[in-house]
Amino acid sequence: MKTLNESATGKAIDRVEGHLKVTGMAKYASEFPIKDKVYGQGLNSTIAKGEIVSIDTSEAEKLPGVLKIITYKNAEKLKTFDNKMTEVSTTTIAPVLQTNMVHFYGEYVGLVVAETFEQAQYAARLVKFKYKKDANPAIHLEKLRAKAYKPNDKSDYSRGDLKAGLAAADERLEVTYNTPIEHHHPMEMHAVIASWDNGKVIAYASQQIVNDATIAISDTFQIPKKDVRVVAAYVGGGFGSKLNVERHVIMAVMAAKMVGKPVQVTVTRQQMFTNTSLRQHNEQKMKVGAKKDGTLTALSHETLSHTSPTLEFQEACGLGTQMLYKVPNNFVTHRLVPLNIQTPFAMRAPGEATGSFALESAMDEMAWKLRMDPIDFRVKNDTQTDPSNNKPFSSRLLVECLRIGAEKFGWKDRKTEPRSNKKGNWLIGHGVSAAARSAPYLKTNSKVILVLEGDRVNATVQMDATDIGTGSYTIIAQTASEYLGIPVEQVKVELGDSNFPVTPGSGGSWGAASFCNGAMAACVNAIKTLKQNRNIKEEEEVELADLMKKNQLTKFEAEGSAGPSKEFDEHSVYSFGANFSEVWVDKDTGMFRIKRMVNVGAAGKILNPKTAYGQIIGGLTMGVGMAQAEQTRIEPNFGNFITRSFADYHVPVNLDMANINVVFLPEDDKIANKMGVKGIGELGITSVAASIANAIFNATGKRMRDLPITPEKLIEAKIEPGINI
Amino acid sequence: MRPFTFTSAENTMQALGAVKGNSKYLAGGTNLIDLMKEDVERPEQLIYISKLEYNKITGNADGGLTLGAMLSNAETANHPEVRKNYPLLSMAMLSAATAQIRNMASNGGNLLQRTRCPYFFEVSMPCNKREPGSGCGAKNGMNAVHAIFGYSEQCIAVNPSDMCVALAALEATVEVQQPGGGSRMIPFTDFHRLPGDQPEKDTNLQPGELISAIHLPKSIFSDHYYYLKIRERSSYAFALLSVAAGLQVNNGVINKAGLAMGSVAHKPWKLTKAEAFLAGKKPTQANFEAAAKLEMIDAKPFKENKYKVEMGTRAIVRALTQAFEREA
Repeated sequence: MKTLNESATGKAIDRVEGHLKVTGMAKYASEFPIKDKVYGQGLNSTIAKGEIVSIDTSEAEKLPGVLKIITYKNAEKLKTFDNKMTEVSTTTIAPVLQTNMVHFYGEYVGLVVAETFEQAQYAARLVKFKYKKDANPAIHLEKLRAKAYKPNDKSDYSRGDLKAGLAAADERLEVTYNTPIEHHHPMEMHAVIASWDNGKVIAYASQQIVNDATIAISDTFQIPKKDVRVVAAYVGGGFGSKLNVERHVIMAVMAAKMVGKPVQVTVTRQQMFTNTSLRQHNEQKMKVGAKKDGTLTALSHETLSHTSPTLEFQEACGLGTQMLYKVPNNFVTHRLVPLNIQTPFAMRAPGEATGSFALESAMDEMAWKLRMDPIDFRVKNDTQTDPSNNKPFSSRLLVECLRIGAEKFGWKDRKTEPRSNKKGNWLIGHGVSAAARSAPYLKTNSKVILVLEGDRVNATVQMDATDIGTGSYTIIAQTASEYLGIPVEQVKVELGDSNFPVTPGSGGSWGAASFCNGAMAACVNAIKTLKQNRNIKEEEEVELADLMKKNQLTKFEAEGSAGPSKEFDEHSVYSFGANFSEVWVDKDTGMFRIKRMVNVGAAGKILNPKTAYGQIIGGLTMGVGMAQAEQTRIEPNFGNFITRSFADYHVPVNLDMANINVVFLPEDDKIANKMGVKGIGELGITSVAASIANAIFNATGKRMRDLPITPEKLIEAKIEPGINI
Repeated sequence: MRPFTFTSAENTMQALGAVKGNSKYLAGGTNLIDLMKEDVERPEQLIYISKLEYNKITGNADGGLTLGAMLSNAETANHPEVRKNYPLLSMAMLSAATAQIRNMASNGGNLLQRTRCPYFFEVSMPCNKREPGSGCGAKNGMNAVHAIFGYSEQCIAVNPSDMCVALAALEATVEVQQPGGGSRMIPFTDFHRLPGDQPEKDTNLQPGELISAIHLPKSIFSDHYYYLKIRERSSYAFALLSVAAGLQVNNGVINKAGLAMGSVAHKPWKLTKAEAFLAGKKPTQANFEAAAKLEMIDAKPFKENKYKVEMGTRAIVRALTQAFEREA
């Protein structure tokens, strides 16, 4: 399709909302100046399982400023779950304070509402709960294997005959990998200001998908969806934790109704561990069979994980194992054990981030068994047809990612033999891994408002999409600029309000493709209609201002809608990538430094290299966190998380990050969508941890199969001969 | 956070005189305020002491140096005299926390920072240090970051400071102002205490006493020193284990060794056996290993911190090696 301003997308322009953010003008959920708002402070259970037997609010109620203490005893009745397990989604209801039963440590058991934040916090300390504690909360996944169940029809997959495939192999591998519980921890903690006006709810909430939030809120309160408005103009990161409505939102809406004032609830950093979702612990058993020449004959991936007692979430760790390599015999299962831990939910690249650690480590292990270069091994088993469904890939540049990455990284200089690259106290290693992340594309609606002022047209694009720090505002503005033929400075983008046209919101790496194709549709419709009205041929080039003048219009609105085509459905649509890491391991201390990383991605059209680069850097950083230190640890006797703050939960610091080279391969994939955009936000984290673990093997000769790879573990693995005492 | 009253002291007399009930001195607040937010510390009164006169670094007649207690960790670690003559202290202090925290944290406060034991931080858990008599959750729970030396049935927590490990190796002295007027000197190794059956007491400070200065003896380790800190990330992480090593070497022989280990006991763990062993010996790998073994043979780890025995052994050898090889 011919556009009027072809260079607008693809340019590395600064964020259009950047100045608002650095000057503090961008309003995040808790920053809206709502008149007369009061503050709610959530109360958390201090047992993992059992029931509340008594609540003493008398001391707290005496404090000045305290307006209401809400517990199961006086809470508004909400819709609750049936007794059977419910699969969690982005629209799932979030009943809270409906029963005296406690299902996990830190579960909300009350809300104190007070005139000031400080009063609410203080009063919260004075509410006394007495519990009847269940002696045996389910908190040990390893001890409860027998309770594992198959969640649904998507849990298992197989093709060919795994046993036969393993029997036909020259080399076989059977190993288990573990990835720990992790937390999303966006910079902006979850927050909401909720109010009621004539039976209608407005919630300023830090959410990734505002439309789904209106569904979850209205379903929970059993009110019409049209009576709920959710605003999330700016969101300070989500990583999946803000996909669904968490219970603080429902408590705020409930409290606002009960006290008749707007109520703000901000989740504390400590509560971010217990009252938002998490990435669950996955125990992943891999079996790999291969011929001497590197041909894969068998590949299996069995994942054991956990969910909460009431809600079910299954992370598809084995998905990549089904589709990444050409292997005739493939077997994938997922099993869950209900534990007294909150419900896990999607965290950046759910399935891929964790599954790729197992798959790409196992591929490296097999390559070493075969004494084959790990890149050649992967290339040998490449395919242009998705073996899991026999659909052709719309585009797949995996081999190119690996080859170009190898060149940029200097892979040919790598020493194949582990422990053969030493410098002083350092053991140096190089690792590689392949990455694949589906590139979903979902139906998106958008509206464009054109206003003629003198000789220029200013455009406003509206949709209920969100910008969770990814750059949505900017790429949507660039898209409108391109398809309207006006400078990007004349485009205003308004997002994050459920009154705007419906989009799928931010998540699953579908945002960029969906939002921009949606915006494009509205812009193309606007121009098409303006031309048709004046009988101007579609291919005739006319400036937008002239079009408005010819139509004798000073204001014009158009809507548009875009979504996946039949061709899209007939293909497997993925982004591909490759990660390379150089790791220096200290032989005595077990500390390691990642010196260099190269990331090559083939993710369709790069709308803005600057924001795309930011996405990859962010993904790599989270991948480094996975490999190096991030883990949430459960106390074995009480079931609480002992990691309570950023002092204990070790996300990477700047000094941990390597010299990073990010390369985007040009890719033109119009099957993915009209603009050829593929997701990138989750590609960046996929298989990063494997490339680091593989580099550590190359450095030390020790295979680290349990993340994170801490100094303790490397010391215990005896990376150097010990000193006997 | 619970309500408290706030008193800003203009001088030492005012500060000492303001103490009543459950009062806490407040300087940088980088630990105390966190603990108040967590409901672990519940002072009725905060007495703000940052305006007090103990904000200088001065040379002593014996060739040593006096560090004011109200100076920030950043000012101290970056002071030219400290960098030149006590680089071991500077190195340890700069490995701690983050630049922002070091700008706020005071020297006196660093000596009083409390353990990072997760049971201490979570008020719903048992912890004899926070709530005497409630039990120790860590002993049969999560004890990966806990003590391998000098613990008791009551408490297996460790002191988290980096600065204090260097001060133990340097054999500093702490000066404190007493409530009735007057002051007293406490040798650094007697400043912190082992938990025994009173784990709620981290130090031997008496009620109302105020740290005013840290005295460093004449520098002898400025040529050969190293602070080795093993942690899970490059910055902003407490040590899994650390070693402060200083060597005074004359004619190829160790005259004196100053050695202390961090994150292994309720106090900075002075490695006196290793120090005694190394005195008069040559700085060789074999001697370093023998010294390390002498200390680590006494380690009694728990289920999750067994790694500390080998890590500690390697760390002593490595710190001594780097201290010796470092050219001033």
